[in-house]
Amino acid sequence: MRGSTGRCRDWTQYAFVGPALILLIGINVFPLLYSIALSFTNVDLVGGAWKFVGGFNYAVAFKFAKYGAALRTTALFVCVAVAVELVLGFALALALKDRFSGRAFALTALLVPMMLPPAVIALFWKLVLNGHYGILNQCLGALGLGQPQWITDPDLKLLSILLVDVWMWTPFMMLIALAALNAIPGYLYEAAAIDRASRWKVFRRITLPLCAPLLGLAVLLRATDAIKQFDLVMAITGPNDPATQTVSALLYQVVFRDGKVGLGAAYSYVVLVLVLALASVFVRYMSSVQRREEAGAQ
Amino acid sequence: MRMRMFGLAAILLLAVQTGHAEDKKITIWWAQWDPAAALQELGHEFAEETGIAVEVYQIPWPAYQDQVFLNFGNKQTDFDIVVGDSQWIGRGATKGLYLELTDWLPEAVDVGSIHPRAARYLCEYPPGSSRFFAAPCQTDAIGFVYRRDWFTDPAEQEAFAARYSRPLAAPDTWEEFRDVAEFFHRPEQKRYGCSLLTGRGYDSIVMGFQPFLWAWGGAWGDPQSYKVQGHLNTEGAVAGLEFFKSLLQFTPEGGTNADYFFNLEAFSNGSTAMVLDYFPFYPGIVASMGDQVGFFMVPRHGDQRVISLGGQGFSISTKTTPQKQEWAKQFIAWFSQTAIQEKWISYPGSFTANTELLASEEFAAAAPYNAVFAESLDHLQDFWNVPVYNELLAAAVRHLGAALDGTSASADALDALAAEHEIILMEAGLLEME
Repeated sequence: MRGSTGRCRDWTQYAFVGPALILLIGINVFPLLYSIALSFTNVDLVGGAWKFVGGFNYAVAFKFAKYGAALRTTALFVCVAVAVELVLGFALALALKDRFSGRAFALTALLVPMMLPPAVIALFWKLVLNGHYGILNQCLGALGLGQPQWITDPDLKLLSILLVDVWMWTPFMMLIALAALNAIPGYLYEAAAIDRASRWKVFRRITLPLCAPLLGLAVLLRATDAIKQFDLVMAITGPNDPATQTVSALLYQVVFRDGKVGLGAAYSYVVLVLVLALASVFVRYMSSVQRREEAGAQ
Repeated sequence: MRMRMFGLAAILLLAVQTGHAEDKKITIWWAQWDPAAALQELGHEFAEETGIAVEVYQIPWPAYQDQVFLNFGNKQTDFDIVVGDSQWIGRGATKGLYLELTDWLPEAVDVGSIHPRAARYLCEYPPGSSRFFAAPCQTDAIGFVYRRDWFTDPAEQEAFAARYSRPLAAPDTWEEFRDVAEFFHRPEQKRYGCSLLTGRGYDSIVMGFQPFLWAWGGAWGDPQSYKVQGHLNTEGAVAGLEFFKSLLQFTPEGGTNADYFFNLEAFSNGSTAMVLDYFPFYPGIVASMGDQVGFFMVPRHGDQRVISLGGQGFSISTKTTPQKQEWAKQFIAWFSQTAIQEKWISYPGSFTANTELLASEEFAAAAPYNAVFAESLDHLQDFWNVPVYNELLAAAVRHLGAALDGTSASADALDALAAEHEIILMEAGLLEME
């Protein structure tokens, strides 16, 4: 039997958790459920009469090539951006691991892109990459090289956005990789030196495996962020360019330009299911890697 | 104590009166450019005459459409009048966003003085139905600006005459245009023949392609039945697109994705002989380049000269108070008077639909582009302005872009575009399902 103090503690707990819970339900759970309902309607952004359309919006999302194309563009963007950022970030972290004069300055300078707002970065790079008066082409011209149309050539547009994303987010990978490298106990390297292990062997057997869990986390964080890529696309090529139209850009086009809220909701749920499926595969893979490592350590 | 009470009452009364004066105000939303600033100037005059303040709120062009329709999603709009693009009128009229002006406009405004093409595309929905949802604010068209100094250079004239067996002059046909563009295209000297509208951001590629589509006998579709197949993907339309594409070899680098601002830059930096853009962008060029520049109408093919319409009309929001709607009507009626229109066109980049003024010699002489502008109005035509215009526009941008980029053949691009347009029109309930 609980006394009045116990009941009071119960209420206090609810009082503390309650507001946050209500806020969470109000701004997360309710819109989530509400948007499921909207996905079965033809509701317009500007209001007016709407009706239940069953699975029509889902059929449209599967029927038209542009929806699949946006998914493919996003997948390509995520794979290339995250892979390049991981490799470059890890390489930079290895270079900056040991102390040397100017290390603090290099580290700070490298972190600047990550700290700037993406919209500002996009507008800044739009000027840099401009085929006419951009500084990049002016430099290339001065060196007698070609004048690629970075943001208008259909073959280069996505590459340009990838370039900006890599410039912006490689420091993030570097930061996490640096934390992982600093967490590796020094005695492991000392033991490897006594065993006369080659640098490659040390990297393969000590550095990489011990950094892997944190790098995996960094990949997961970057991938979830890259899937939502919108700012750079919106500012550099616009939301309706098939060469760079990511899922978020297409959603913007459908909901805010065409006013089709129901169709936008349906498409976002198709994307959500795909992302959840991929995320669960990734998480399972990471868990299995961790289990293998733990088993190896024992 | 009594004095203190009296003072407090006086302050309260003043506050209430000030509040009322501030309330007697209408808000107009428009894109950020010179004509909007001119409208604000006229708004001050209107406020002096009537006591109704006018605030023109300017939104940068790239965000303008999105912000207006997002605001229409509210129960009450932040604006009383929106100066809406011609293509928006179908959405505004059918979704109950624009106040219908059919009964009011002919009584308050001399509708007969509005250029018929402006009335049809800027004010009526459906076009030609005499159902009004807007009054003309800024009438607009695309036209060419060219380097008059290059064209009048004796050495250039001699060389051109030797090569093409005719004098060098502003082109009247697209075939002449191609020759002139070819003649001036000297990339090794950083000099280019022309720059057309091919941008993918909003509607510039569509505005740039339309004159070719129409001049070569194609159309976006049948405005009665909304059928697209057999109108948009005809042999003529494909030939028009091919011709359009063939001209892009004479553009500066990046000319296959050139929007209004790209073209302004291409001309202002002195590299390009002929550039296509909307007339309100030209006062800046005239101010900086003076008589180095001249203007000519969009060329014809055979006897077909059709020009993309631009411009915006005043529409009153249904989501504002009846009182503000009344003030908005007062402002529109005041603005539409010939005397005010005369003032309106004295501002750089502001154009009228008033036929009396358009025909006047004063207007033709006021700016070097005015005569060409007035002549262009007789050839205006617009894109679809149905409620799903934006989807149609987005599809057109994608497929035409693919054709210009060479990732799709012209015929395939127009076939695919016609098919997609028909699906969009069917889904919207405009085209009957077969």
